[in-house]
Amino acid sequence: MRALNRVCERTGYSVPVVEYAIDALFSSITLEAIDTVMRGELGSAHVEPVGPVAVVSSRTTIGVAIVPALFALCAGCDVHVKDREDALVTAFFETLAEEDSRFAVSARASQWCGEAQAHDLRLYAAVVAFGTDETLRAIRAQLAPGARFIPYGPKASIGYVTREALSDSNVTRAISQGAARDLVLYEGQGCLSLHALFVERNATLGPQAFAGLLASAIERANIEFPIGQRDAATEARIATERDLALFRDTVSYSNAQASFLLELGEPDRAPAFLPRVLAVHAVDGPNDMRAYVQRHSLPLEACAVAGHRDDVFAAAIAAGANRVAAFGELQRPPLDVKHGGRPRVAEFVR
Amino acid sequence: MAFPVILSVANEVSGVEGPAKPLRDEILAVIEAWHERGTELSDDEFSDLALRIVAYQLQSNEPYARYCAAKGVTRGRMPRSWREITPVPAAAYKEALLATFDPATAALTFETSGTTEGKHGKHYMESSELYDAALLAGFDRFMLPDDARLHYLNLVPNPAEKPHSSLGYMMARVAESRGSGRTGWYVRGDALLLEKLFEDLRDTVAHAQSVCIAATAFALLAFLDAAEAQRLRFPLPPGSRIMETGGFKGRTRTISRDELYARTAACFGIPESHVVAEYGMTELTSQWYDAIAPAGPPTAGLRPFARDDKPQAFARDDKARRKLGPTWLRARAVAPDGTTLPDGVVGALAHVDLANLWSCVAVQTQDLGACFGREVVLIGREHGAELRGCSLDAESLAAR
Repeated sequence: MRALNRVCERTGYSVPVVEYAIDALFSSITLEAIDTVMRGELGSAHVEPVGPVAVVSSRTTIGVAIVPALFALCAGCDVHVKDREDALVTAFFETLAEEDSRFAVSARASQWCGEAQAHDLRLYAAVVAFGTDETLRAIRAQLAPGARFIPYGPKASIGYVTREALSDSNVTRAISQGAARDLVLYEGQGCLSLHALFVERNATLGPQAFAGLLASAIERANIEFPIGQRDAATEARIATERDLALFRDTVSYSNAQASFLLELGEPDRAPAFLPRVLAVHAVDGPNDMRAYVQRHSLPLEACAVAGHRDDVFAAAIAAGANRVAAFGELQRPPLDVKHGGRPRVAEFVR
Repeated sequence: MAFPVILSVANEVSGVEGPAKPLRDEILAVIEAWHERGTELSDDEFSDLALRIVAYQLQSNEPYARYCAAKGVTRGRMPRSWREITPVPAAAYKEALLATFDPATAALTFETSGTTEGKHGKHYMESSELYDAALLAGFDRFMLPDDARLHYLNLVPNPAEKPHSSLGYMMARVAESRGSGRTGWYVRGDALLLEKLFEDLRDTVAHAQSVCIAATAFALLAFLDAAEAQRLRFPLPPGSRIMETGGFKGRTRTISRDELYARTAACFGIPESHVVAEYGMTELTSQWYDAIAPAGPPTAGLRPFARDDKPQAFARDDKARRKLGPTWLRARAVAPDGTTLPDGVVGALAHVDLANLWSCVAVQTQDLGACFGREVVLIGREHGAELRGCSLDAESLAAR
């Protein structure tokens, strides 16, 4: 409970959002999933740990350091998590140490104080870091020669709804609910947050009708996962986006508080990258999605897809997605999926 | 004031006709009365004129009228005071053609410097008189209360190169009508002509000619970096002053305003109170200025920012300067639902500029600030949202 409160305080996310994140994170960590990754990436050969590992955590995501730390431990490395202000990683490591006292030595977490500690990074054989390109460059410059650098840069996720999926009203409703959840969680700040949605034309339900359904679903999701603390600048930007939509040849959905914005139209408009703001694009096929991603140089992490069509899966992968998921599952990545396209454990062994 | 601000309206060069003409003339009269006699508009007088301008704009500016209608405002359902006028988002100048007349006949066209997906915002003026009168009156009051005749050294876009820069136009008009005959331009393309500027500054110092340096914050910082690297200082003659404008919008290198002003004052040997920030934008006609005046002989008579004036409610930045505008320019800080926030509470600034007759009288920005009656404290200028990852941000640890 202490960790939950401190995560809420640090991120500004509401309690249900943080609870969801913690549930999603820890429910994915099972012996079976760990075993699958270990066997899949390392096989049965004996491996040597790479050496001491540092994980430099990020500010906006919840427990992002835990999975790489876990696999570094599985590889036999000593791990030091440079954590943020909250106590989540510390609490997790304390629990591990209660189960096995060896973890009291091999798994450490301490608060990261930034530049003052940057030179400490020279002590590690491998450094995992999350941040912007500029931040990652700065961290990389601090590593010892020959140290392994495992960076996770900025990414975004998108969604694609096939016309086949729009033929059944129950399925359509479930898609809209799932997409709404993918949008509102973590205020658009995770690499798995939904920033652009592509809906195929010529379906039983048209893109505009689907957008209407989705807007209603977002309103409901706003109740299930209330908006956290927003600073005045962010509020002003969302309100401006909402108002500007009135000048465009688009259909938009929002409310007086600008708590969300859904805008359908303008196929060339880049994602706004604002909390609970989503651009919906009517498309003829998955190549339109791929072209959009290329046009805006979007570094993709994942693509949610509704409907089973090979050409959509292929386009999502070709566009750069590391993972294809169902709507509503975008923000619940399984443990055995390569995040950022990187192996989970192979980089922690020699 | 020693200088006139209305330079050409008497000759009716612009040919403005129809319902705009009496409004234009009335606004010019307000500007002239404020400039010549210090006549202030009361809140009711301001509202009255603002609402008549809105009525005109609803009739003649179709995109604005549609936008207002979507917000529940029509000529039959008008706001009751200037605080209720629907402000158009500044970025809407990129989305729509916001003009009360045929832009093909515009006397002036200004373009925003930033682009959104390749689009510039455009602000059209049917005639130049309002723009010229508003800018000169404001500049006289806030930058030249001593009626000084100065050289102008401009680190802003040169209108010869960028004719659609409102800032370049402004400084050209100021230099032309208020200067002592010598004007320098030190921005070419994206480059600063530093050697030429150093040379002209040395000449200025040698001949004891007071100057006004107009610079964007970014250009000023680039100048200071270069001057300090060469250990150069230019102790400007008494009465010299700096007008800083534009902030660091869209730039990667930024420093605090306190540091910028301290370094500027040290480099030029002038008090920080002689570094005055102008706050304006292409989408407006009028400008705000720091409520400090580089007035009078050398440093006498200057009124540094009075901390004692500050209400307790605002405690975010103890050194925040307040800004003042001319009587035809007012602002309110607004919440996302458009309601006006109480004094001292930070929100997005919405400006009502009566001189914005040719487009939209009220403009909503994403600039954050707080209002104190007629004064504004600017907290920060807008910057775009950016892509975040699973990752944002270990920024505090980014070694610099």
